[in-house]
Amino acid sequence: MTTPPAARLGNITKSFGRFPALSGASLEVRSGEIHGLLGENGAGKSTLLSIFGGRLRPDAGSLEIRGTRTEFGTPGDAAAQGIGMVHQHFALVPAFTVLENLALGYRSSRSRWTLPIPDLRDRAARLQAETGLRVPLEASVERLGVGDRQRVEILKALLIDPSIILLDEPTAVLAPSEVDTLFGLLDRLRAQGRAIVLVAHKLDEILGVVDRVTVLRRGRTVLTAGRDEVDGPALVRAMVGEGPVADPAVPDIPRPRGGRVPPGEVVVSLEGAPTSGLNGPLEIRRGEIVGIAGIEGNGQGSLAMALAGRSRPPGTRVRLPAHLGFIPQDRTRSGLAGSMSLVENLALALHRDPAYRTSRPGLPSLLRWSALRERAGELMERYGVSGPGLDAPVAALSGGNQQRVVVAREMALARDVLVAENPTRGLDVASTTFVHQQIQSLSSTGDRPPGVVLISTDLDEIMALAHRIFTIVRGSLREVPRDARSREEIGGLMLSGVEAV
Amino acid sequence: MDRRVTVSAALATTLLCGACGGGADTDEPAFRAALLTSGPVSDAGWYAGAYEGLLMMRDSLGAGVSHQQTRTPAEFDEAFLAYAADGYDLVFAHGFEYQDAALRAGRQFPEMTIVVSGGGRVTENVVPLVFTLEEGSYLAGMMAGGMTVSGTVGMVGGVAIPPVQGTFRAFEAGVFAVNPDARVLEAYIGNWDDVSAAKEAASAQLRQGADVLIHNTDAASFGVFQAVRERVAEGEVAWAIGMNRDQNGIAPEVTLGSAVIDIPRAFLATARSWQAGELGGVPIYVGSSRSVIDFVPNPAVLDAIPAGLLEEVDSARVRIRRGELEVPRVHFVEGETEEG
Amino acid sequence: MRARPFIAIMGNPWVSGATALALTGLVAAASLWLGGFDPLAAFASLVRGSLGSPGAFLSITLVRAVPLILTGLAVGVAFRAGVWNIGAEGQLYAGAVAAVWAGLHFGTLPAALLVPLVLCASALGGVIWILVPAFLRIRMGVGEVITTILMNFLGIHLAAWMVRGPLQEPRGIFPQTESIPLSAQLPVLFPGTRLHLGFPLAMGLAVLAWGFYRWTVAGFRASAVGASEEVARVAGAMDVNRVLTGTFLASGALAGLAGGVEVAGVTFALYEGLSPGWGYTAIAVALLAGLHPLGIVGAGVLFGALEGGAGAMQRNAGIPSAWVSAVEAMVILSLLAVGVASRSRTAGPPTTANESGGIVAGTGGSDEDPGHA
Repeated sequence: MTTPPAARLGNITKSFGRFPALSGASLEVRSGEIHGLLGENGAGKSTLLSIFGGRLRPDAGSLEIRGTRTEFGTPGDAAAQGIGMVHQHFALVPAFTVLENLALGYRSSRSRWTLPIPDLRDRAARLQAETGLRVPLEASVERLGVGDRQRVEILKALLIDPSIILLDEPTAVLAPSEVDTLFGLLDRLRAQGRAIVLVAHKLDEILGVVDRVTVLRRGRTVLTAGRDEVDGPALVRAMVGEGPVADPAVPDIPRPRGGRVPPGEVVVSLEGAPTSGLNGPLEIRRGEIVGIAGIEGNGQGSLAMALAGRSRPPGTRVRLPAHLGFIPQDRTRSGLAGSMSLVENLALALHRDPAYRTSRPGLPSLLRWSALRERAGELMERYGVSGPGLDAPVAALSGGNQQRVVVAREMALARDVLVAENPTRGLDVASTTFVHQQIQSLSSTGDRPPGVVLISTDLDEIMALAHRIFTIVRGSLREVPRDARSREEIGGLMLSGVEAV
Repeated sequence: MDRRVTVSAALATTLLCGACGGGADTDEPAFRAALLTSGPVSDAGWYAGAYEGLLMMRDSLGAGVSHQQTRTPAEFDEAFLAYAADGYDLVFAHGFEYQDAALRAGRQFPEMTIVVSGGGRVTENVVPLVFTLEEGSYLAGMMAGGMTVSGTVGMVGGVAIPPVQGTFRAFEAGVFAVNPDARVLEAYIGNWDDVSAAKEAASAQLRQGADVLIHNTDAASFGVFQAVRERVAEGEVAWAIGMNRDQNGIAPEVTLGSAVIDIPRAFLATARSWQAGELGGVPIYVGSSRSVIDFVPNPAVLDAIPAGLLEEVDSARVRIRRGELEVPRVHFVEGETEEG
Repeated sequence: MRARPFIAIMGNPWVSGATALALTGLVAAASLWLGGFDPLAAFASLVRGSLGSPGAFLSITLVRAVPLILTGLAVGVAFRAGVWNIGAEGQLYAGAVAAVWAGLHFGTLPAALLVPLVLCASALGGVIWILVPAFLRIRMGVGEVITTILMNFLGIHLAAWMVRGPLQEPRGIFPQTESIPLSAQLPVLFPGTRLHLGFPLAMGLAVLAWGFYRWTVAGFRASAVGASEEVARVAGAMDVNRVLTGTFLASGALAGLAGGVEVAGVTFALYEGLSPGWGYTAIAVALLAGLHPLGIVGAGVLFGALEGGAGAMQRNAGIPSAWVSAVEAMVILSLLAVGVASRSRTAGPPTTANESGGIVAGTGGSDEDPGHA
C-alpha cells in the first residue's frame, strides 16, 4: 500500500447505558471513493458516523486520519481534520437564514472574532455555482422544504473544504430526480479526490453509485467489499444475518395491483382547493390504497393534516370517519414524544379510545394503564419492536423501531382509514418491506377493511402499493390515468403538473 | 380565653424547648433582650441605632442579646415565638409593621414584654415606643424662622404619612413662634430613596423664594443638601436642616443644624424602666425630656447664627423638657388622648 | 436536552437531595469559617431551629413550607405542560390582595362560609393575574416568560398601592391593611403550634395533582403537551390550546391560593413585601422535585426547614442575615445541581445515535417553545 487510506476507524465500541450500540465496528475509507455504509436499523450506522464526525465519543477503538493515529475529538476537531458531516436530521437553526446557518460552522482565516459575512457570501456563491446546490442564501431555513434544507446542510459541510464527507441517509428525503442530482454531485466530489461515506437504505440506489461497501450488523462490521465483488442478495444476507430472523428479510417488493378498485363504501371525502383539478371530491373507499405522489414541499403536509382531521385549511371540507389512524411523516417531531415511554406514546393516540379509559358520570375519566400496557406489549410483539422495554423513553429506540411503534399504534386505530405520509422514510429494507406488507394486509383483511391514503415522495412505493394514484403539485391534486402508470410519466407529472399523456 | 391562651403558650414553649436547651451559658445573664428589624443593621441610621442600643444593653446592663432581621411579615410571629421559647424577657420590635404580630405574641406569652418602635397599640406587655421627633423639629422650625431672610421656608417630605406630617406641623409651629408672618412650603416626593426627586423638589422651593429647607426623606435627603449647596454656589443665601440623625457633616457650610433621635439612649432607658418594673400599660414617649430627641446646631456655622436666636432655642428646649411648652403632635397610638 | 424527562420525574429526589446537602454543608462551613463564624454552632442552630423539636418542626418548618409547596405546585403544574410561568410571585400577591379584600368585606359571615370564600377569592385573584399572559401566549404567541415576569412587578405594586390606598387600615396611618376577622383565619391544627389548615390543604392538592397526572386522561394530555406540543397535536389529535388554557388557569389559581393561605393562616393582614420571593424559590422547589407533585411537598419542606433554620442561625449563632442568605443560596444551587445531574444520569441513553433527533436538529428544534431553551 503506497498511500494510506483517508481514514480508518478500528474496533469501535460504544454503549448507551446497558445497550451496546457498537461492539467492534471498523470502517476504512479511501480518498476518491464513495463508500456505502449499510445495515439494518439499529445496526449502528448512525452511531458510527457520529463518532467519525466527532459528535459522540466511543468507549474504545482507534482512529487514523491519512495514516496518522489521532484522538477522537469534538465536531470542531473533526472539522479541523477535514471531516464534513451531513446529518440525517439537519443540524440547522430554523429561525436563522441560510447564510447565518452557514456561518455557524465557519471560521474566517482573517479574523477570529468577527463574523465573516461578506467573505462567506462569496464563498457560498462560488460553491453554489460549482456544485449546483441552489438555495436562496437570505431565506430563513424554517421556510425551506426538506430538500432545500439538505442542500444547506451539504453546503455547510463543503464550506470547510473537507477531504472526507459523511452523509447520513441523504436520499431519504429526496424525490427521484433530486436523488440523481445528489449522486451527480457526489460523483464530482469523488472526482476531486475526496472520500465520501454514504449511508442509505435503498440498495438499488446505493449500488449504482458506490465503489466499496461496508456492512454493519448489530454493531459489528461483518463485510467490507468492492462493489463488483457483491450483489444485492449477498448484501441483504450480510445485513440481516444467516438463519431465522424476526423480520421478513427479502426485499420482495409487491407487484402493483392497479386496475381493480374494490367496491367499498366511501370513508373519506375531501372537497375544496386541493381537488380543483379533479372532477369532484377526493374519495377514499374501504379496501383501497390511494397513492399521492409528489416532490417534497408541494403541499403534502397540509393535505395530510387535513385528511387526518388535525387541521382545517380554509376552503377545504373533509368528511372523516370515527376511527382514523395517521402516520405523520416526521416521527421525531410529530409522531412520538421522545421523552415519554413506549406505553405513554401508545396512550398518546389510544387515550381517546373508550376501551382504554373509564367513564363514570361526574368523575374525571381515568386512563386504564394496565390495559394500555397489555395492548402495548401485544403490539410490540406483533410488530417486532425491540428495545429497552415498555417504560424506557422511546428516544432510546432506533429509528426503525420508533417507526414500527408509530405504525403499530396507528394501524391499531385505523379501523376506517389510515393516512400515512412517507411511512417508510429512513427505514431499512426489511422494515420498509414490513411496513408495506402491513399496509397491504390492513387494506385487504376482514369484511370491512379500512381505506388507505399513502402520501409519499417515493414513487416506487406508490407504484407498488396503490390502486389509484394521484400527483400533487403546488397543493393541487391530479389523478394519474390508469394507462399512464409508468415511472417516467408519473415522474413527469410530479415535476410539472402538466399531463404528459 | 385567657386560660386557653396560657395553656397553649405553655405547650408552645414546651414543644420548642429542644430549640433552646443545651445552649445555655453557665453564667446566666441579668435578662435576655432581643431585637427584630426589617432592614439591615448596617444602614448607619434607624436600624443601626437600634442595634447599637441592643449592644449597650449587653455591655452596661449585662443582658443576653440576640438580633434577627426579618424579611417578611410571615416571619414576625415565628420570631416572637422563638424568642419566647428561648426565654427572652424583652423584645424590641423596631418598626410599626410588627405591631399586629406583637399583640398576638403578647397575648400568647404574657411573661414576655414587647416594645414596638412607632407602634400604635398598647397592652400590659406590648408597649409602643414613640419618638417625639416633633420636639426637635419644633426647635428646628424656630431656627428656620429666625434665619430666613426672604420670609419663606420649605419642607420636603418622603411619603405623606402621619409621623412625617407630624414633624412638619411642629416645624411650622416653631417657625411661626419666632416669625408669625413667614410662609411655609410643603412637598412630598412619594418615596424614601429617590435622591434626584428630593433635589428637584428642594430646587423648586428655593426658586419660589424659600431660603431655609428642612427634610424628612431618609436616604433621599442628600438631594436636599445638594440643591441648597448649588443655590449657594449661585450666590444666593440658603440653608438646610437635617433630620433623624446628626447630618451636620453632610454639607457643613450650608447646614444650620439637625433634629436628631438618639435611639440607643431610648432603648437603654426603656430597658432600665423595664428592670424597674415600670414598663407596661402605657405607651413610652421619648423626647427631649429624656435627651433622646434634640436639635443640634451645626458648630461649623455658629458664627452665622445670631446669638439671640440660639438663646431663644435653648430656652424653648428647657421649657419643653419641663413640660411648659406643648409641641403639636400627631397621635397614632390607639386610645391616646390629646394629653397622651 | 429536554428539561423534563417524563420518566426521570419518577426518579428519586431524596437521594440527590441528601448528597447535595452533604456537599453544600462542607462549602458553607468553609465560607462561614472564613468569615470568622463558628460553623458548628451555626449548623447546630440551623438544625435545632428547624427540626430540633416538634415545635420547631410544626411551627417553623412546616409553616414556612406551605407557601413554597403551593407556589411549587403552581410552577410544577405549569412547567409540566410546557407553560413557563415565572409569575407565581405576582399571582401570589394578587391572591393575597383578593383574600384580604374578601376577608374584610364579608367579615360578618361565619367561618364555615368565610374561610372557603377567602381561599376561593385568592385562587381567583391568581387566575386574574395570569389571564393576560395566558391570552398573549395562546392567542398571540407571545412568550409567557416575559409577560409573567412583568406581571410580577404589577402584582407587587398592586399590593403596595392597596395598603396605602383602598385597603389601608382605617386610621390611614400605617401601610398595611386591618387584620382579617378571626372567622376568616385558617384554624390552627394543634393548639400551641402555628401549624394551620393551609398545610393539609397544600398536601391534599399535591396528592390530587399526583393522581391527576398519574391516572386521568386530562393529566396525561397535559404531560403530553409538555413533552411536545407538536406531537400532542399531530399524533395525539389534542386540542393543545385547551390544555394550555387549563394549565395557565390551574397554575395561577395555585399561586394565588398560596397568597391567600399566607394571609389567612400567618400574617392575617396584607403588607407590602409579604413574600420574600416565594414565587421564584418555587421554581427551584419544582425543579428539585423533578416536577413531581409529591416531590414538591418534600422539596417545600426541605426549603422551609432551610429558611426556618436560617432565622435560628441569626438568633442563636449571631450570623448576620447577609451571610445566612448566602449560605441559603449555596444550598439551593447545589441542591439543584446535584438533583438535575442525578436525574439526567437516570434518563437513559442520549438517544441511539442521532437517529431520533439531535440537540439542534432543524426538524426537531421547534417542539421546544421558542425562546425558552
